[in-house]
Amino acid sequence: MFEPKILGFCCNWCAYAGADLAGINRNQYPPNIRIIRVMCTGTIDPLYVMKAFQKGTDGVFIGGCHIGDCHYQNGNHRAKKRVAVLKKIISYLGIDPRRVRLEWVSAAEGQKFAQVITDFVAEIKELGPSPLKGSLRHDRESTRIS
Amino acid sequence: MIEKVQELAKKYLVNGKVKVIFGLRKKNNHIAPHIFNKVEELNDLVVSPKYPLLYTCRPDKKNIIRQIEEKYPDIKIGVIAKGCDERSLIELSKRDQIDMKNIAILGVACTREEAIECRCPRPYPNNPLIGEKVEGVFKDKSVEGLLSKSLAERLSFWQYQLSKCIKCYGCRNACPLCFCQDCAMEQEEWSKTGEIPPEIPMFHFIRFYHLADRCIECGECEKACPMDIPLLTISKQVRKDVKELFDYESGLEVKQQSPLLTTLDEMPMKEGVNDDGI
Amino acid sequence: MMTEYKNVLTVCPYCGCGCNYYLQVFDGKLVGILPCKSHVVSQGKLCIKGWNATDFVVSKDRLTKPLLKKDGKFVEISWNEALSIVSEKFKKYSLDAVSVLSSAKCTNEENYLMMKFARAVLKTNNVDHCARLCHASTVVGLGKTFGSGAMTNSIGELEDTDCIFVIGSNTTEQHPLIARYIMRAREKGAKLIVADPRLIPLTRFADYHLRQRPGTDVALLNGFMNVTLNKGLEDKEFVNKRTEGFKELKEVVKNYNPEKVEKITGIAKELIIKAAGIYAKAKSASIVYSMGITQHTTGVDNVVSCANLAMLTGNVGRPGTGVNPLRGQSNVQGACDMGALPNVYSGYQRVSDENARAKFEKAWNTKLPTKTGLTIIEMLNEAVEGKLKAMYIMGENPMLSDPDINHVKKALENLEFLVVQDMFLTETALMADIVLPAASYAEKDGTLTATDRRVQRIRKAIEPIGGSKSDWQIICELAGKMGSQEFDYSSPDEIMDEIASVTPIYGGIVFERIEDIGLQWPCPSKEHPGTPYLHKGKFSRGKGKFFGIEFKEPAELTDADYPFILTTGRTIFHYHTGTMTRRTEALNREVPTGYMEINFKDAEKLNITEGEKVSVKSRRGKIEVKVLKTGKVPEGVVFIPFHFAESPANMLTNSAFDPVAKIPELKVCAVKVEKRKNI
Repeated sequence: MFEPKILGFCCNWCAYAGADLAGINRNQYPPNIRIIRVMCTGTIDPLYVMKAFQKGTDGVFIGGCHIGDCHYQNGNHRAKKRVAVLKKIISYLGIDPRRVRLEWVSAAEGQKFAQVITDFVAEIKELGPSPLKGSLRHDRESTRIS
Repeated sequence: MIEKVQELAKKYLVNGKVKVIFGLRKKNNHIAPHIFNKVEELNDLVVSPKYPLLYTCRPDKKNIIRQIEEKYPDIKIGVIAKGCDERSLIELSKRDQIDMKNIAILGVACTREEAIECRCPRPYPNNPLIGEKVEGVFKDKSVEGLLSKSLAERLSFWQYQLSKCIKCYGCRNACPLCFCQDCAMEQEEWSKTGEIPPEIPMFHFIRFYHLADRCIECGECEKACPMDIPLLTISKQVRKDVKELFDYESGLEVKQQSPLLTTLDEMPMKEGVNDDGI
Repeated sequence: MMTEYKNVLTVCPYCGCGCNYYLQVFDGKLVGILPCKSHVVSQGKLCIKGWNATDFVVSKDRLTKPLLKKDGKFVEISWNEALSIVSEKFKKYSLDAVSVLSSAKCTNEENYLMMKFARAVLKTNNVDHCARLCHASTVVGLGKTFGSGAMTNSIGELEDTDCIFVIGSNTTEQHPLIARYIMRAREKGAKLIVADPRLIPLTRFADYHLRQRPGTDVALLNGFMNVTLNKGLEDKEFVNKRTEGFKELKEVVKNYNPEKVEKITGIAKELIIKAAGIYAKAKSASIVYSMGITQHTTGVDNVVSCANLAMLTGNVGRPGTGVNPLRGQSNVQGACDMGALPNVYSGYQRVSDENARAKFEKAWNTKLPTKTGLTIIEMLNEAVEGKLKAMYIMGENPMLSDPDINHVKKALENLEFLVVQDMFLTETALMADIVLPAASYAEKDGTLTATDRRVQRIRKAIEPIGGSKSDWQIICELAGKMGSQEFDYSSPDEIMDEIASVTPIYGGIVFERIEDIGLQWPCPSKEHPGTPYLHKGKFSRGKGKFFGIEFKEPAELTDADYPFILTTGRTIFHYHTGTMTRRTEALNREVPTGYMEINFKDAEKLNITEGEKVSVKSRRGKIEVKVLKTGKVPEGVVFIPFHFAESPANMLTNSAFDPVAKIPELKVCAVKVEKRKNI
């Protein structure tokens, strides 16, 4: 049974707090996600996302504040634009852009957080394991590329 | 046409409008960029076959124009600029790499044959002094080929192409807009050093992403690749996407800021552009 | 106040591809490199070494003044003093007591002058250079079979062939721009067969990858020929009309059926049959080889077997075919052509040939020595015995590149007088009595000959750094100090004119003719356009000769004490002894230090972790090196690149050499791997 591995970047002020709230209120969500706390989604370099895929992650979740509520004014503006470009590029490289999800979750939305993660894990389960997983370790076998 | 260019350049030099001319020189059947100080030298000035003028000289990572401006802040440089040269100059000046006030652009438009060879969408500078603006190439076979593939096909295509890479950094070295002092492609954290091919697709993704708002479609990256990896294909398509998402085209106006550096209020993003499917 | 920016077209100083690029010079300073789009081989592309070939030129380590060793330390002296000391010392020795090592990195003019200096002034034929370590087998082997020991076809022709058989060459890493043509041929539909014990970048794209046991190439090639003859795929017309000795070949090859070859090499016999069939059936097929074939005690046999296979299938003397040795250094082909070898003058005219010697005696206006000289290995052996007393080394680093480094050290220490001429204080220069600072490729004019026999111009872009001088100037001044009048040249093109007058294959090479693109020799006259491929119509020796070659094991096999096979080699990021690449930031960042590749299973058995430093011992010496666990090497084989002075692979290698070519067996020796004792 395929259990996806998801990496989550949650901003300290909203999404991470929302995740905390979900925990306090016992809103269940699947254990497939590992959360990294960042101060703002604006600090997330899309290279981290690609690196996650390179290492075999099946999906990347980015959670931030709603537009207008960012603790640093417009960090989440940057995130939104970057993720849009990022999704385009990975789709040209052959990675399904639905594997990256950007959501705005405020500190009070614990229930929403749990729901969003549950939906995302289900979607990734449907999409299957990441196509980059175990791909082309050139030193292991004489795999012929056609 | 070349005589007209030489005449114009000589006029500018003689009139003192510019102190030096920066253009291509043909010597012994080889073409390279050159600084022309004297009028007689301009007899060797050419504009084709295409050679880009703005390479980032390593290891200092400054292009020639910037080095001239730093050493001789008062002289005016006349640049025989084709469309791609002018776009490079504009993007570089947006990022404070050069100062446009010392540069006089002697724009030269390319012919339709040259545009087809380079697959260039805009083979003319903003105000060409020589040559007519011809239509660029908008339909590109390799881009259409990529878009017609399914996700799995795209992945195996790039797995094959990128595994030919010998990590020469030619794509980065030849790019007029790759001038960062600490290039992310060199850092161990992003892709392991010392092995070829480098990590696929991480190594090349760094460039694709960092140039999303900077690429001016000069095609030098693909021309510098010893293994014929079709790098321009992705950069072309991403540049189209940036235009669709943010109504922004790189290299047209000095005052326009890149959308990835601005807020949504200053440069809004078009919603609903299909970013969740293929 | 004039600002000057110019682009100077020159040749890359690293490998034998001979790529051209522009050195960007801004107000007299080197600022960067621009590839040359109109060059026939490189076409505007370069590898990572070529892109960064300016760092070492301006490195702080560049020698700027001549040095004299006093009481174990180096003291700076003037040029006059240095050359006086050298000339006085050299006057004491002659004939058998002094020898000269010329450089495959120096220009044709400088190599010619060096061998002229050795023969006309020092009166000795003891001249050699590093081709002894890499392609001496090629010169002998192809000389025996074809009559000419050079790459038979041009690099660009590889793109349009039907089958490419790469054996013993890691082309992608060592000759990246040649690998480009192989990949293009493949994309056009050509078949690619790769024979290499390791997984190299090319094997991923190969139709057949044959992993032979190191040192068993003769058996493999004989197996190919056996399959070809059994299936009747040989080119009967070619064999009848243009070759001799076929009977002898058939007698030997008929014993190498695929079962026997499988036992010797370890390759499955079905694979051998299939791959041999592909090669033989192809309309044009090309053999590409390098160190994996030449650096063995059976090096000449390996080369001859390659030539046998090509002749058997009619694959010589047409575009896109041939036997193509990929020469390593930027000018190793030129150094061989210029006669920096103990048994030939320039153009491969033999020292033992009375007429040739008479010609050179007339051209140089002096009597010349008659005894064939010593090769590098013999020079070092005689130095240890005390028979060789003085050596003049130009642009070579035997302390890191020659096998059995302890032996080299003993030899050099035993010399009475050692002069080293180099750009940096290399490991060899540290042992010298006098060190002369030489100029780099960016600071002088001259010509280099690439692996496909193309003679190209290097041009001066900046003035020599500090007090360094071009090698040709140093040799001329030294010869003048020693009393010779024959070294009065004002510029390298005069030297090339002299070379053209005494060397038939370079007869038509003049600086004006090679201003835009180079010329491929043989170019016997000023009207001749150069020769893209050799042996058209007839071989250089008339008819190609077959030799029946029996398989012989390598000199040192594994046993219970030394159970691993050590094979040495290179990585794309560094070049040879690292004198230039380890002073380049971009390359050091990629591969900062030495490593050893060992198979996963072997590492597990020995309980070694990734990155751990282990101790590797052979009968010659021992080193400590970092481990890289990989599937690239088969079980029982380890691989160490030789670029790194802190873990020098050549400390372990065997100096046993091929009896004719005198090339050492750098590709096979026996070692043991142990965890370091707890310190």
